[in-house]
Order: sequence, then structure tokens, then C-alpha cells
Amino acid sequence: MTGPRLDTLWLKAYVGLALAFVFAPIAVALVFSFNSSRFPTLPLQSFTLEWYEDVASNPELISAFGRSALVALLVAALSTAIGFATAYTDYRFSFRGKGFFVALALLPPTIPSVIMGLAMLAWLSRLAISGTIAAIVVAHTVICIPFATAIIRLRLSEMDAGLELAAWNLGASPWTAVRTLVLPFARRSLLAAMALTAAVSFDEYAVAWFVSGLQKTVPVVVLEILTGNVDPRINAIGAIVFVTSMSLVIAAQILIGRSSQKSGTAE
Amino acid sequence: MASDARRRAAIFAVAWRAPLLIWQGSFFIGALGFLTVMSFWLVKNYRMEPAFVFQNWERILARPFFWDAFWRTLGLASLGTLVISVLAFPAAYTIGLVLSPRAQRLAIFLLVIPFFTSYLVRAYAWQIILADRGILNFLLSWLGIPAVSMLNTPAATLVGYATLTLPLVVVLQALSISSIDRRLIEAAYNLGCTRLRAISMAIVPLARSGLIIAAVFAFILCYGDFVAPYYLGGSLPPTLSILIVDTAKSGQQWPRSAVVAITMIGVLMAVSFVAMRLVYGRRR
Amino acid sequence: MRVNKSRANIMRPSRRDMLKIAGASAAFSIPHIRPSQAAPTEINLLSWYGHGEPDLVGEFEAKHNVKFKSKYYAGGDNMLALIAQSPPGTYDLILSDAEYVQQLLTAGYIDQLDPADYPFDDIFDEFKQFPGHWKDKKLYAVIVRYGHLGVAYNTTKISREDASSYKVFWKPELKGKIGHFDWHLPNLGSISLLDGNAKPGPFDINKAQWDHLKETTRSLRPQVAGFFDLGGTFSSLKSEQVWATVGIGDWITGVLKRDGAPVDSVVPKEGGIQWTESYSIGKNSGKQDIAKKFIQYILSPAGQVRTAKLKAYPALLPTKGGWKALQAADPAEANRLGLIDSADNNPIKLLREGRIHYRRLPVQQSLEEWNEFWQEYKSA
Repeated sequence: MTGPRLDTLWLKAYVGLALAFVFAPIAVALVFSFNSSRFPTLPLQSFTLEWYEDVASNPELISAFGRSALVALLVAALSTAIGFATAYTDYRFSFRGKGFFVALALLPPTIPSVIMGLAMLAWLSRLAISGTIAAIVVAHTVICIPFATAIIRLRLSEMDAGLELAAWNLGASPWTAVRTLVLPFARRSLLAAMALTAAVSFDEYAVAWFVSGLQKTVPVVVLEILTGNVDPRINAIGAIVFVTSMSLVIAAQILIGRSSQKSGTAE
Repeated sequence: MASDARRRAAIFAVAWRAPLLIWQGSFFIGALGFLTVMSFWLVKNYRMEPAFVFQNWERILARPFFWDAFWRTLGLASLGTLVISVLAFPAAYTIGLVLSPRAQRLAIFLLVIPFFTSYLVRAYAWQIILADRGILNFLLSWLGIPAVSMLNTPAATLVGYATLTLPLVVVLQALSISSIDRRLIEAAYNLGCTRLRAISMAIVPLARSGLIIAAVFAFILCYGDFVAPYYLGGSLPPTLSILIVDTAKSGQQWPRSAVVAITMIGVLMAVSFVAMRLVYGRRR
Repeated sequence: MRVNKSRANIMRPSRRDMLKIAGASAAFSIPHIRPSQAAPTEINLLSWYGHGEPDLVGEFEAKHNVKFKSKYYAGGDNMLALIAQSPPGTYDLILSDAEYVQQLLTAGYIDQLDPADYPFDDIFDEFKQFPGHWKDKKLYAVIVRYGHLGVAYNTTKISREDASSYKVFWKPELKGKIGHFDWHLPNLGSISLLDGNAKPGPFDINKAQWDHLKETTRSLRPQVAGFFDLGGTFSSLKSEQVWATVGIGDWITGVLKRDGAPVDSVVPKEGGIQWTESYSIGKNSGKQDIAKKFIQYILSPAGQVRTAKLKAYPALLPTKGGWKALQAADPAEANRLGLIDSADNNPIKLLREGRIHYRRLPVQQSLEEWNEFWQEYKSA
């Protein structure tokens, strides 16, 4: 069905190459985070944990990690909540201006993050919350709502439309129907949305750099190190950041995969 | 009674609509709206003052270095999109049509992971790989090939773009390819097509929408990216995103940065519009 | 129509519940962020990279139960942008380049200082009335460290003799091996000195000289490998991507030397430029007393030694006590920096010989004009 099999091996190798390209920088950061040399060149010198110890004993870095975690949590909760409301609106209702509504929900990723950062900085300064954790949470939520909406909407489209109808016919109020039918059905996608938006927020550097002021998150610290004097700590920080976001993304994918009963193709 | 029920239904509907409208309205539209307004403001003594002047627009649009950056950014992003779309296709084809469903899921699973991890640190890691005394040149020296200077070139910027967008493009292309009706492809082979002809005559046209959408996303990401041209390309050439950061860093010139920003948004909207036309415009 | 009975009536988190969970988690995580001792006073610092790190402030923090929170900028323009973005009184201490102090003052960001609070007797005469720190006989910033900009080069690729003139940047064998620190002021100032604008000063040039300066600069473009921010300047020299960089000095090469890189800086015969850093106290800070104590600490011999050997980038000292303390604590470094009366590169001597010029904002052109030329040069 798919034609001659002679070059199938080449094609699979090509996919392998693509994966290697995509994972190469991650592997490099991980490997060099254990390298004792101050210069990131080959050949490698000896194995060391000193960069990790450096990171672990740096109070500013630790509070940055804590701050990133707090922001990610709040952003995940807010954007998933709003994302659900938006996805449900798109699924259940049709109304005039729905196109505009959906556009509003999905537009943020089309705005480059540098521009978003500048705009948020100016606007949130105006609202006098710039330089606070609230500012980062607000800005990140704007960016993450589309992701949450898309994930949840995808799951809702797999729901039998008759389900709610049956509930209403049996006397349930629409609110009850949502609470007892729709939410449970979407549960895994809600968790997946939370995991994914947490990952997005955790790694977001541009907007955070503009609006975080003194409340630095981890990506802001990374940017400062990159623009200050690159030192070997950055590989250790990078490795920790990678492991964190990768875990969140893997969790999200597993949740999406498990909740989807009818997936013939992948996510 | 009926109006009561209708009112409750209306409340139900509005309640679900409200969160998005309130949040994005206050913060997303508010921010972008203010950005536009700000582009007409003045800067006196390093503080912004509300005004309505065209001075910022005139000044920026009159500067040759702005237009240099404008065309170079457009060119670089377009080139990047083209190269990445082409490089992604064989992988997407394989994932979409050749691999078993299990392998397919695994491949996409693996591809999605890096996309959501720190692009910043990944770009820095590429510096380590591409540096004059970096990993690639080390391997080349093993093979007896003299060192190649790879950083601070547009090519390095393209590598950065690929790091940013390749996973997304491959996944989107693969999803679109795998949803083609298999029978149509079978028909192509039954009619005597080689693999290559089947691809060009059947698969690409059938997956057209997905391919275009993938390209649009890649373009949007590349066009607005600051990290690749700055850290890998050495600001050679400076792109519009670098211009924004430069202008914002110096002397409080937010209104001028806003001008550059709005220009970029305009270009992106135009590109998206044209792409959507291509996808949804012609109906067979 | 199937109704999934197994799912109904089971407690599933609603939106409200999720928010509660999020709030609880946030509440749980906050105690882990707060330090466990009695709350230290926080000092908000705005400075170049590295001035809030333990190697400089650790001793002071421990002694006075203080915690430094720092925001780092790259370049005076960036500093001004950052201050303007925050509510007034955000920053208690501001480390500023001398030429930007007047702008901080004009914009109302800093407080007046009392000279009696600071050891002016210990400061070298040349720096007592440093231009830019005073206005109408009132003090607004105190000098704490400075350094020289000239030619920074790789010692294995360029000889010290060659490096002793800015002309070295144009050498054909260095094509594609020259880097720029991405800030117009030090770069254009250096090239201005090459053009011969030593009197009245490299930053005080008339239109003809400015036009000529632009021409000279443009002629350098084919040699350039890239424009680098702070981090990029370090790594490009470290990795030998570039063999010489314009617009920097020992503040970069001194750090790299510590790591064993074969680089050095020299003040060329056409003259060098001095960058100068000073501390100011932020207006409406509320922590003026402790900020004052910190400035006094940095000007004390112990503090001066620390600031000379700052991990982020080394510097020269403006106090006699500081010189003596460094000679005692680290004679090798004092020697290297030239902070010894008999040294060839004794900065005060160089200043008196007229070989060093203070960096300042352009006098006869607007800052904008210089910035825009720089943008144009970059995109050439």
C-alpha cells in the first residue's frame, strides 16, 4: 500500500536524523553540565557535580526556581479554567461574532513574543502591576489560553452530542450537566492542559524578561547569564529546566493519549 | 415561564463566554491597543508623554536601516520556512505513511517534547556545537577537515530557526499527510506511479492545506524570533526583532519600538491572510 | 444515546475546585521561598552584571543582616529604560556609569548625597570633583571604581606592539576576526581617538570631525565578525571566534585571563578611554541609611579590594587606602592592574600624561544621532 520497501530504511534513518537534530542541543547541555572545564570545548575533562552544587547553593537561583514554579502553577490553573470555558463555548454555542471570539482565543501565538513583551510591559506599567509576579501570571495566561483551549476543544469534539441533550431531557439544569458530564469527560484533557501550559510558562523568557522586574523567573536568570558572562552554571541550569519541562510535556502527552478513545492517528 | 427559561439560558451562555472576553479583552487587546496608541506618543527627558504625532512613524519609516532590517527579516524568515518545510517533508512523509501506528505515535511523542522545552538554552547549546572550537569542528578535525566558521552567519540563524520550528512543522505535516484517504494513494500506485511521482502528484496536493498551515506557523515563529539571529547569527544581519529590543533598551524609545512592532504584526497578518486564502480559497 | 452513568455523580474537580487547589499549592510553596531566619532588610540594586553577587556583597550582607536583590542592565540606556519601567522608589542603590548620572538626576531618580559621609580625603585628587557626579556644587554620585578601554586582543595571534595602536583593527590578516562590543559609545570613542580627536576630547567633535569619524568607522565594517552583547563578547574572545575586540578593555580580558585565556588589553598610543562607575541612592528608597553604609563599605579598603577583584569584571580603584590594601592582599593583581605608584600603567600617571580620556555622552551631536549611526553601521 505504501509502495516499494527498498528505501524504507533510508526514510526511517532520516526520521532518526531529524530526531537527533532536535535532541542534540538538549544532550549537549546535559553532557557539558557535568564537565569540569570552564570552557565548553571538546575533549571533555573530568566528571563533576560542582556546577549543580553551585546552582543548589545560590539563593537567588533557588528563589527564581520557586518563583517560576509558582507562576507556572497559577498560569496553568487560570489558563485551563478560561480555556475550558472557551472550548465549551465553541463546542456548545453558535452566535454572531463567534468567528471573532475564536480568533481572540487563538490569536496570541501569532504575535511574536518580543512584541508581546513590549506591549505587556507598557500596558501593565500603566495598570501599575509591572514588576510583580501578578504581571508575569497575567501575561503568561494570555499566551497560554490558546494551548489550553485547543487541547480541551479537541477532546470535547469527541464527546457524544446526545449526552448533554439526554441530561437536559431528564431534567438536569445545563450547569449540572456540565458539572457531572462534560467536566468528567474532559478531565484528562484538563490535566493535560494544565501540564502543558505550566511547561509553556516555565520556559517563557521574552515576555517574562520585559515584565518581571526584580521578580526574576528562571528563564530571565538564564537570559541574564547569557548576556552577562556565560559560565558553566548555565548548562546545569539548562539541564534542570529541560528535565522539568520534559516531564511536564510527557505527562501532558500521556494524559491526552489515554483520554482519547477514538484516536486512529496520533495526538 | 418561557422567558424565565430563556433568560437562564442566556445567562448560561454568557457565563461561559465571559471569561475569555474579559481576560483577553483586558490584557491582550488592552496591551496591543495601547501599543498602537503608544506609537503616536512622544518621549521627553526619557519619559513618555501622551500625544498624537506621526513623528515616530515618519522617523522610523525614513530610516534606511529599518528597511534593510525589514527586507532581511522577511527574506530570512521566508528562506527558513522554505528550507525547513522541505527538510521536514521526508520525515513527515515517513511518519505519516510508512511507520506503523505505534512507531508513529512514538515519533510524534518524541518530537513534541523538545518543542516545549527552553528554546533559549537549546540555542545556547547550539553555540557550543557550532563554535570555532566547538563540537562539530572537533569532529571535522578528526576527519582531517579544517575548521569551518559557522557562528555569526545567516546559516547559523537558520539552524536556530530549525531548532525552533522543525518539530512543529514535522508534526503538523505528518498529521495532515496521515489523514489522506489511503485509497487515493493506493490508486496512484496502482496506476503505475513511482514513489516520487505519487508524492508529487497525489500526496502533496492532497495534504496541501496542512503543509501550508505548517509553513505559516513556521514563518510566524521565525519572523518574530529574536534568539536565533542574535545569539547564533551575531546580529548579522540585524532583524526587526533585534531592532525592537535595541530600541527598547536605549533611551526609553518605546513609541519607536512600537512602530517596528506594529509593522511586524501587519506583515504577519498579511501573510496569514494570504495563506488562509490559499488553503480555503479555491474549492474544487 | 448513551448516558455514561459510571462517570456521573463521582466527585470531579470543577473549575472552582481547581482554583482552590492552585491557591492551596501556592500557599504551600510560599513558606519554602521565604528564608528561615529573621527577615533581613532587602536592598534593591540596579547595576551592571555581577554587583549583587556574594563575592562583593556577601560580607556586608552577613554583617548587617541584609539581602541584595539585583536587576542587571547592559549599557546606560538600558539602565534608564529599566528605571523608568518601575514605580519610583523601586531601587535603593544604583550603580551607574558616570555619564548617565546627570540624566538620572534630570529625570528625578536619585537623591542628593552629603560629601561628609564619604571618605573624600582618601580619594585621589583627580577624582574628587569628578565631572558628572556633581551639579551646582551638590553631590549626587560617589565614584567607586573605573577602568580603561583600549585594544583587547588575543596574545597568541597579535603582538603587544601591534596592539598598541587602534590601526591594528584594520590589518588585512585580521579580516573577519574583529568583534564589536555592541554599544556605540566606547566604540566610536575609540575610533575618534584614532582620528586624532584627543583635544578637546574624542566625544567633543564638530560636524566635520563627526562625518570623518563615520567614514573611518564604515571602513572597518569588512573586518567585523559580529556585534556582541556582554556574554557574547566574553565567549567570542574565549573561543577565538574573534582575535581582537573594539570598545572594551581589561574589564573583559581580566576575567578571561583568570580562566587562562591568552588575551590582554592595552592602552594604545593614540590614547584610551576611561569608564567610571559610581553609586547613587534611589529617590524615595526608604533604605537610605543602609544604602549609605554600603557605599561607605565599598570605599573602605576592604570593600575596595573586593570591588577591584569583582568576579564579573575587575576594576581600578580611586582611593589611596584601596591601593595599599590591594597591594597587601594580592600583590600580583595589584601589579597586573598597575595600582602601584611605580607601575608603567599606573592609571593616575596615565591620566596626568593626558593619555586617558573620560568617556562621556557626545557633546555636539545628540545621543540619538550616534545611536542611529550605530544601527546603520550594524546593518551595513
